[in-house]
Amino acid sequence: MILRKAFAFIRRSYMLQMSYKLESILRMFFMLFNILTYYFVAKLVGTAGAKYLEPYGGDYFSFVLIGIAFSTYLMVSLRGFSETIRDEQMMGTLEAMLVTPTDTTTVITFSSLWSFIFASIRVVLYLLVGIFLGVNLNNANLLGALIILFLTVLSFSSLGMLAASFIMIFKRGDPINMMFMSTSELFGGVFFPIEVLPWWLQSISHIFPMTYSLSGMRHALLQGYSLHDLLPEISALVIFCMILMPMSLLIIRFAVKRVKEEGTLVQY
Amino acid sequence: MLGPNGAGKTTLIKILCTLIFPSTGTAKVNGYDVLKESRKVRESIGYVTTDERSFYWRLTGRQNLEFFANLHNYYSKKAQSRVSDLLSIVNLEKRADDPFLSYSAGMKQRLAIARGLINDPRVLFMDEPTRSLDPKAAQDARDFIHDYIVSEQEKTIFLSTHNLNEAEQLCNRIAILDEGKIKVSGTPQELKNGLGSNSTLSDVFTSYSGKRLEEEKQPKSSFMKEMRFRHRGGLGMGRR
Repeated sequence: MILRKAFAFIRRSYMLQMSYKLESILRMFFMLFNILTYYFVAKLVGTAGAKYLEPYGGDYFSFVLIGIAFSTYLMVSLRGFSETIRDEQMMGTLEAMLVTPTDTTTVITFSSLWSFIFASIRVVLYLLVGIFLGVNLNNANLLGALIILFLTVLSFSSLGMLAASFIMIFKRGDPINMMFMSTSELFGGVFFPIEVLPWWLQSISHIFPMTYSLSGMRHALLQGYSLHDLLPEISALVIFCMILMPMSLLIIRFAVKRVKEEGTLVQY
Repeated sequence: MLGPNGAGKTTLIKILCTLIFPSTGTAKVNGYDVLKESRKVRESIGYVTTDERSFYWRLTGRQNLEFFANLHNYYSKKAQSRVSDLLSIVNLEKRADDPFLSYSAGMKQRLAIARGLINDPRVLFMDEPTRSLDPKAAQDARDFIHDYIVSEQEKTIFLSTHNLNEAEQLCNRIAILDEGKIKVSGTPQELKNGLGSNSTLSDVFTSYSGKRLEEEKQPKSSFMKEMRFRHRGGLGMGRR
């Protein structure tokens, strides 16, 4: 039943998105310019950063392509849940959903499922365009990449649920979103290997799940690391999940209880 | 539930529908505690709001109802069949596949009533169901509520309104709510008799709340001609 309900939310979001066809097409189309920008930046950089890029295959374009593609999941996770709540509040549909037997946490989490699917379509497109522009994924360990992806989505989603809890209570100004959105690109290794950073900044990088996610994804896709070789990243992401998932579920339940007590659930 | 704006009618309905937790006290709906058994409460109730924003405007009436049927754990053919029946009952089958944004206010309200009936609830909560309708559409809606939902389907309706005619026309029992407190309750006749002969519901309201409510003129109903009731077997709408 849970899968059928998940499908119902995906279908609804898909139909809503397809009712704005032009927006969907434009979002996909202009993404190509983003990729091309980094392609030419990579040409400019050449082999300048070869020393730092060597563990990831040595090619900057491949490095940054994986970085921007998979950081999409962080953006979707951090924004997805809170934006879902806000959108449903503003559309006025949240209350109508919450008066059904489907519980509040399910409504919030499932409402974001389409965002993850849409993000996955974008990631696949990123990779396809990347392959067309010369990125070599011949040695990719797909199973390893999928495991890293699964753990990435779980850990990032937990952060997103924390962000949504703040939005529910404070309506605006959620610190989780602000902190991770503004710092993950610097510390998470989206545009450059964290080894470029001075040692004391590198130590900060290690508290961001993004660091392990991108490192593992690059090793799996570009270097074809085996599952055994990927264990450090997988273990780190599992630890993040074990800490963040129960914490986020507890906090979002607390947030739902509090806004129901205050009667502010549908206020924004 | 009769009361002026700000009396607490919507808050009370939201508490009974488990959308808001009560700050003190307890409440039961269909024998279920709104705090401890909130899911069972929601399984056994329907909620009709006047807020036309509570639908997805870019989806069709059918797509909207099917989504909400899924939230009530109706899936696939069961959901489709249920939705088709309801669209027929509220006479929206011809416009079922048009976007919600193209519906008139009356059609939007009929779809809201259809959504409230999706799970064949024992109790239907209606928060000022005719507030945004013109007098004729409002009367049509009242007739539908009285003739179909109450008389034919034997559902219990908990309705809030600040319209005296509506309360008198639809309600077996009336409670006057003002500033969050029930001032008096009883059948319309009991309430009027309590103030002496020739008293009106307006007099009752003024007597207990110290305020006056505007009365709405009654248009002649054409509802029964417009609505097509289909008394097909197996609709599953009857009281179980």
